[in-house]
Amino acid sequence: MLTLSVAHRILTELWHTRRSLVFWALFPSLMLLLFGLIYAGDGSKAEAFNYTAPGILIGAALFFSCLGGPIAAIVAERERNTLKRLLLSPLGGTSYFLGILLAFLAIAAGQTVIVYGIAFAFGASYQGSMWLGATVVLLSVASYVGLGFFFGSRFTKRTEDVNGPVAAIGVPLLVLGGTFFPSETLPDYLLRLAHLDPVFHMNEALDAVSAEGLGWSAVTDHLLFLVVFTAVTLVLGVHSYRQMLTRERVL
Amino acid sequence: MRFLQVSDLVKSFGDRTVLSGLTFGIERSEVYGLVGPNGAGKTTTINVLCSVLAPDRGGVYLDGVPVTDAARRRLGVATQEISLYADLTCRQNLSFFATVYGRSGLARSTRVNDCLSAVGLEERGDTLVSELSGGMRRRLHVGVAMLHEPELLVLDEPTVGLDLESRRQLWDLIRALASAGSTVLVTTHQLEEAEALCHRIGILQTGRLVAEGTMDELRRHIPAAELAVISAPDLDRVCRRAAELGFQFRRSLTSVSVWLPERYSLERVAGDFGGVALTSLALKPVGLEEIFAEVTDTARS
Repeated sequence: MLTLSVAHRILTELWHTRRSLVFWALFPSLMLLLFGLIYAGDGSKAEAFNYTAPGILIGAALFFSCLGGPIAAIVAERERNTLKRLLLSPLGGTSYFLGILLAFLAIAAGQTVIVYGIAFAFGASYQGSMWLGATVVLLSVASYVGLGFFFGSRFTKRTEDVNGPVAAIGVPLLVLGGTFFPSETLPDYLLRLAHLDPVFHMNEALDAVSAEGLGWSAVTDHLLFLVVFTAVTLVLGVHSYRQMLTRERVL
Repeated sequence: MRFLQVSDLVKSFGDRTVLSGLTFGIERSEVYGLVGPNGAGKTTTINVLCSVLAPDRGGVYLDGVPVTDAARRRLGVATQEISLYADLTCRQNLSFFATVYGRSGLARSTRVNDCLSAVGLEERGDTLVSELSGGMRRRLHVGVAMLHEPELLVLDEPTVGLDLESRRQLWDLIRALASAGSTVLVTTHQLEEAEALCHRIGILQTGRLVAEGTMDELRRHIPAAELAVISAPDLDRVCRRAAELGFQFRRSLTSVSVWLPERYSLERVAGDFGGVALTSLALKPVGLEEIFAEVTDTARS
């Protein structure tokens, strides 16, 4: 009940302001159109959008909403002093975290529909298992939200601080993870480094399922990496949030 | 032991002692005012009271039970800074916090409507908080604090930054809560507010209570029936004359307040100060301002 209530509150706030929702819909749509058309060149648009959609969903859609969103939510909570009210209430850190996760899963579902809707309009098709694709998206969202919680509660105090961690840490991860161009173009030493990048595993897994129709066995390593990474970020996120509450324990 | 009993609280931050043996109690259905200048320890007292800060010594008991994290939900706290979701409506704010406090369905919507009505915002239920005036936000802020029907409502500087009209509206709300049987602790540095609202008042200075009681009890700190407030071009002369007459007095930058031990007429005071050029002369009853100045000066000395 508490989790649902937090999720409902966040979605209602986003709906009332709309700015973030518009950005989270517009940015991946434009990126998909641009990269899809660039990669298509004079060739098949369907194939280009087939391979572009997964990377854009992971890197241009979910990254900004599910990493930047929770950071902004925590900073806003602190700036509006509502964190102090929550501190006095029976709402626990885990319920609060799960509420945010649920809200951004809903946003991720919307972004998935938009990105694949555009890709389908250019003739692309989803090749693999829906469940497997949903698992990759779920793990990606959870790890982004966990990271967002970690950065939001540990490194950002004001709204102006939100862009810092997103740009400084996030964008290099996107580039290294093969969001905007195929990871095959990376030199060997960078490719080896990319194997430590969660975005690389998100992209590779969704690409394999969505564009190539591969099954569980083909993406097991990527999923294992993502499960471990997600678990670490969730623990880090909840722990940092609790530490932040301890630091903020003054009315 | 009183309904809320604060006993011998000591709290230091480094080598700075903020609370030094603070003890006071509040009866059920009482509005108690904790007054003191900025830095006297009011907000630290609230932090300890809500168990968000642990005292170095002493304890806080609500109905005989120590206030711990678990007992915190028995309190409703409106902090000094307004804490609301600006992009939600008044109703949505209340509804969210009602759910957090375990209400759902019809019970939740009934309570939300009751709170909106209590804070005089029933017409504004569907207005975004960002579109409310400062006074309305402050009332909603108090509404959220009373939403879960706490046994003790704690209001930290509830009218800070409000205009006169909004302040009066909030006072009416606190009076209505008191009439309905709520127990309320108000901290304020506005003496007029404490005088207007509170059944009993505690005067806090450097972390300890230097006086406490009803207004009648506090007036006993000043042995005067009323005050003559005298403005003059030469205030030194007024002070000398008051001393000659055997009156106690207190000088401020612009006037001298002379304590009159019995009821005097204005003419009699004017006669007593006949040889001194006066700009203005007025009689006024002893108020919290004078009591505050007296007890804090005495405590300081």
